[in-house]
Amino acid sequence: MAGIVTSVPQAVGKPKINHRSIFMVLLVLLVPIFLLDVAYGTIHIPLKAVVEIIFQRSAPNQTWQYIILKIRLPKALTAIIVGIGLSVSGLQMQTLFRNPLAGPSVLGITAGASLGVALVMLSAGSVTTLYTIKELGISGSWLIILAASLGAALIMAIIVFISSSLRDNVIVLIVGVMIGNITLSIISIWQYFSNPEEIKEYLMWTFGSLGGVTADHLYILTIVILAGLLLSFFSSKLLDALLLGHNYARSMGLTVKRARLLIICSTSIMAGGITAFCGPIGFVGIAVPHLARTLFNTASHHILIPASCLIGSLLLLICDIVSQLPGSQSVLPINVITALVGSPVVIWIIVSRNKLKGF
Amino acid sequence: MVKLNNCPAVYRHYNFKLSDKVIFILLAFTTITTSCRQEVYKNVVGDASKTSNVQVGKAEIKYAKGFSIFYYKGFKLINIYNRVNDGVDTVKYLLIKKGQDIPSGFGNVQVIETPLKSMIGLSSMHIAVVDFAESDNILKGLGNLKYVSSPVVRNNIKAGKIKEVGLDGNLNNEAILDMHPGLVMAMGNQNAKGTRYKILTDAGIPVMQNSEFLESTPLGRAEWVKVMGALVDKEDLVNKKFSTLELEYNKLVQLAKNVTSKPNVITGMPFKGTWFVPEGDSYLTHFIEDAGGANKWAGTHGIGSLPLNFEAVAPEALHATYWINIGYVDSKKDITAQDTRFADFNPFKNGNLFNNNKLTNDLGSNDYWESGAVNPQVVLADLIKILHPELLPNHQLVYYKQLK
Repeated sequence: MAGIVTSVPQAVGKPKINHRSIFMVLLVLLVPIFLLDVAYGTIHIPLKAVVEIIFQRSAPNQTWQYIILKIRLPKALTAIIVGIGLSVSGLQMQTLFRNPLAGPSVLGITAGASLGVALVMLSAGSVTTLYTIKELGISGSWLIILAASLGAALIMAIIVFISSSLRDNVIVLIVGVMIGNITLSIISIWQYFSNPEEIKEYLMWTFGSLGGVTADHLYILTIVILAGLLLSFFSSKLLDALLLGHNYARSMGLTVKRARLLIICSTSIMAGGITAFCGPIGFVGIAVPHLARTLFNTASHHILIPASCLIGSLLLLICDIVSQLPGSQSVLPINVITALVGSPVVIWIIVSRNKLKGF
Repeated sequence: MVKLNNCPAVYRHYNFKLSDKVIFILLAFTTITTSCRQEVYKNVVGDASKTSNVQVGKAEIKYAKGFSIFYYKGFKLINIYNRVNDGVDTVKYLLIKKGQDIPSGFGNVQVIETPLKSMIGLSSMHIAVVDFAESDNILKGLGNLKYVSSPVVRNNIKAGKIKEVGLDGNLNNEAILDMHPGLVMAMGNQNAKGTRYKILTDAGIPVMQNSEFLESTPLGRAEWVKVMGALVDKEDLVNKKFSTLELEYNKLVQLAKNVTSKPNVITGMPFKGTWFVPEGDSYLTHFIEDAGGANKWAGTHGIGSLPLNFEAVAPEALHATYWINIGYVDSKKDITAQDTRFADFNPFKNGNLFNNNKLTNDLGSNDYWESGAVNPQVVLADLIKILHPELLPNHQLVYYKQLK
């Protein structure tokens, strides 16, 4: 099924840009921005000390060491992983549905994760109490992560089941959006009947956060995203073929349904995993693929997937830096920043080119 | 002119001359007491009759800033002050005996018949004040039946004497109208300028918006029991009990005042990277100060909490001596389950973890928020026992427990 597409669809009429050099520039940019994210925060720590702590593991100051190694470094690494996962899932959804507005949340996977979290945080008493769940021996952060993963998996199973009997991707898209709506309205009902304190905690979760991920979480999250990423690298040729239309893809011997299943699974794993650990983080998944297509001037997923990874990581790192209000002890929710910082960039790029790439 | 919302239009647009005024007022009075009995807001302007309102006293309110009680011949007046930004919005309540004429001259007031026989409470604090005034049986409805600690009230719930009416956002107006309680005690809200409960007040059910949670001192919050005392005509009992607790509280403050070292205390727990710490004028900060503890944010202003990032609090948390009011956790394991990084905090390593959840019952309701609010002297004794055990060697922790 794979390996049939030999010529990569290229933009016509534009000079071929040296992709390798753009990759190099982005990679080189990634290092200082990552360092900046780790070095910059509420507590002032000199850059020299930051570098010492990261690379030599020596401790000029116990508090600084704690802040760098246990708070800032996991957060920055989470930003990179989340940026990669969300961008690639967004790219896959846009290609699968041939819709520039699609994103990781379009299939209702994020809503499913939210449903799981709402079940734990809001339903206390009405459906099942936190006490009974605690009897299972899982509590705290892992409970929320487990609930979100199960919620995302449930919605994914429903979507996969329904889509297996559907031929048209647009119908799959509509079904996904509708299932997301149903899920969100169930959450609204719970919210309506919950205590203000419970709602507040749930709301905090929906703001999204990179700071709640600890080192142990990070291992699991990395494995999950790597698994999803592996699936999407495998499907990059399928994605290229899908871009040319279903009939064309079929004529090349591609089983559209199987390709779709692979893509849905990979997206669900990544979007569900990220939502479980960080809450729903919007915007990145929609915006980054457009940035990647424009910057690299290509529609080939061989290029676009790694490009989205890099741009997504950079974008989230920058957003994380911005979210640390300068000179303040507070942070803004990451969700606010991604849209606030990202939207103007996307508008500017798309308007200046006056043409969407890849659609 | 006289404003009578639900009365026939002929009164409303009656342009009278000065000579008609006296006759009109008499007419208005009979109308209020007969045809307009339903209307709870009374706007009776009548300078002529004002002379009959003889103020005979004022309740002594020493700590609370949100209310005052005035005594007149034959009735009482409670003012609730809703602080909105810099201004103060006063809501007035006339407390009159059943069947008594409504005194005029108070502008826009709500009228409550005393002694109060039935009431709906919407927060744990309302259960506590009713319990304090030993009038538990007047409680006929609650926002949520789950969050109750008072044994008397819980028995009444079991006996079916108390109905659930829903919480603030989704109050079951029909159920309340059906019960027609003598008063609905709601939580004061900065932007709830009466319109929120219009359906109830229009139907003749007075709604009192308590703002005890805005009081910044523990004694100020507890002093709201005096409002309940006035409502149920038990001022003597309530004032006596309050004086006792006040005396005890202040004695404890004196006891802890001369401590030589003030250990650093951290409170709460970060969630998803945000750590809410109490502001300098808040209830909790006052408790910590009164108990001889130190809190890094005691110098800030405001009665709420500051949303700080984990990193801003971490240096403090790493070196603090005590960690109190930790949140929904019951053991050291629960804390590390939330976030393994918390294990590095000094109080965690030393075992100085004290949570205010000792009196959490089987339904998950924590009495700290209920009876604790009207027993600040007990909470303070707990805190002194935690921070300076040598000062109160015989005290057993009531609301607090050490997490293992």
